[in-house]
Amino acid sequence: MPSGTDSRYLIEAVGLGKVYQRGNEKVVALRNVSLSVESGEFAVIIGPSGSGKSTLLHILGGIDRPSTGELHATGVDLVAASDATLTRFRRDNIGFVFQFYNLLPSFNALDNVILPLLAKGMGWKASRARGEAILEQVGLDHRQKHTPGQLSGGEQQRVAIARAMVLEPCFILADEPTGDLDSASANSIIALMIDLNKRLGVTFIVATHNLNLLKVASCAYELVDGRLKAAPTG
Amino acid sequence: MLALGYFTFKDLMHDRWRSLLTIISLGVVVSGYLLLASLSRAFLTVGKQSQITNNLVILSADAIDPMESSLDEEILQTAREIAPDQIQRAFPTLFRHMNIEGHILQVRAVPLEEMPTSLGLILLDGHWLSGSQQIVVDEEIARAAAWKIGSTVNIYGLDFQVTGLVRATESNLGAIWMTYLEGQSLFGMQHGFQVGYLALVPSADPESVRALLQANPSISVRYTVYLENSVSDAYNQVNHNLVTLSSVMAIVSLLAITFGIYNSTGLSLTERSYEISLLRVIGFTQGKLRGILFTRALLLTMAAYSLGWVVVDIYYNYRNLHSPMGFSEAPLNISLTPSTSLLGLGLAIAFAFLGVWLTSGHITTLNPMVESD
Repeated sequence: MPSGTDSRYLIEAVGLGKVYQRGNEKVVALRNVSLSVESGEFAVIIGPSGSGKSTLLHILGGIDRPSTGELHATGVDLVAASDATLTRFRRDNIGFVFQFYNLLPSFNALDNVILPLLAKGMGWKASRARGEAILEQVGLDHRQKHTPGQLSGGEQQRVAIARAMVLEPCFILADEPTGDLDSASANSIIALMIDLNKRLGVTFIVATHNLNLLKVASCAYELVDGRLKAAPTG
Repeated sequence: MLALGYFTFKDLMHDRWRSLLTIISLGVVVSGYLLLASLSRAFLTVGKQSQITNNLVILSADAIDPMESSLDEEILQTAREIAPDQIQRAFPTLFRHMNIEGHILQVRAVPLEEMPTSLGLILLDGHWLSGSQQIVVDEEIARAAAWKIGSTVNIYGLDFQVTGLVRATESNLGAIWMTYLEGQSLFGMQHGFQVGYLALVPSADPESVRALLQANPSISVRYTVYLENSVSDAYNQVNHNLVTLSSVMAIVSLLAITFGIYNSTGLSLTERSYEISLLRVIGFTQGKLRGILFTRALLLTMAAYSLGWVVVDIYYNYRNLHSPMGFSEAPLNISLTPSTSLLGLGLAIAFAFLGVWLTSGHITTLNPMVESD
């Protein structure tokens, strides 16, 4: 654990800033963002489009790097880590859920779920057994042979959540997980995430427009123009 | 590895028409290689029979083809008188080009005792001629015509029995060999002999003797004296050029696989930047992604190679059965050998991997960002 970090926190970000260069123009996406998330929390980040939610999630997930600030997750310094270290960190510690599911269209649900296991080098039989168990947990054991094109939006998002969970990550980053779903499917996905959080203790960090999630969040933040502030929950 | 193969196979099957077209186009390239490499090997085999001899041959001055030559036996005695210390033996031969059971072959009638000596025939199997209507046959011709010891070969309506298989070392041109007696009874003697052979003593300089004979008016008026090797040297030069050309073209054919895989992989990477970014996000290292691309190229190449191999094998089997190929009178025994096939497979895979390596370099610069709202 690096000095200056608090071991209570799964993720600890201090003074994060992100500036993009777009032609001759500098675009400030994040300004002095500090954030701490404990294990088992259901953290929600709300904010309008373009407020920097996705950028923050990408940085927290080691997909992108901050321009300034410090970031530690599970004891790893994500600012100083090499690309290879970040890749392994993502694989071993984080599950990702995206607005548009991001499933591979040529593979069925089970194949999509076990992809992270393949990345880790797990054996064939063990991978499939694990994938089947996870699909059962998200209520899709009867749809494992279906390709994304044969699944509804809600079902695809369940597959994406199963894929995010299959390696039992330290936390799951969900970027607008209900943004592409009708209200019934969205409620179903929210219920699933809450269930996984309560029942299995899976830590979620969810960026969303959906204010309903504030009601179930254990901690909440609002991001406006790249600045993060606490938001009320419940 | 099993999982990698499974996922790559499913990915190829998802875009099956493009995969099929890629396999067919690579298969065409592989066929080109196999055709040329087998041809090259066949030429090489023919060329290997060449051996330097110490013989001179005498033909009519105006004859291009030995069959058109007409030789007066007395000229051989004249030659021995001109160079008595250099010429060890001299004998005439009957020479014909003939279509025998669909094969264009040479038939040569020579003294039996000259076959293993002056003419340098090596008996590989069977025995030398010991009775009437017997022949010995060049091994390559026997293989091409599927003749074995004891086979009956019909020549001009007469049945001859194959008693031996020989390797002709005096020239590259394989032939059917028989005795004078058989040749005379078969062809008659109204056209006389065609070719005169002069076997020199080992210490003689063939070119000096040839020049000496050619300079003598009693010979030069009607005949031309050749170094036997000059005939085969010209043949060998053509053969060597064909081997070189076909070998180079075979390798160039396989090099095309590099560009085929390069294009296929490049297109796939461009079209699937989203999937590749996603795989990076969920933890696939650059090495793992390259592994997927290598596996993909391996599957495509193996499928294309199998396709090309089957097509060429069927073609050569058909040709060998119905219309065997030859070079001059020497039959070309063209087939797909394990060495040619394995070498080609190895090179094809290597070139395919080169294509992947060339095109997958920019995976390292891919930002694994997955766009969202």
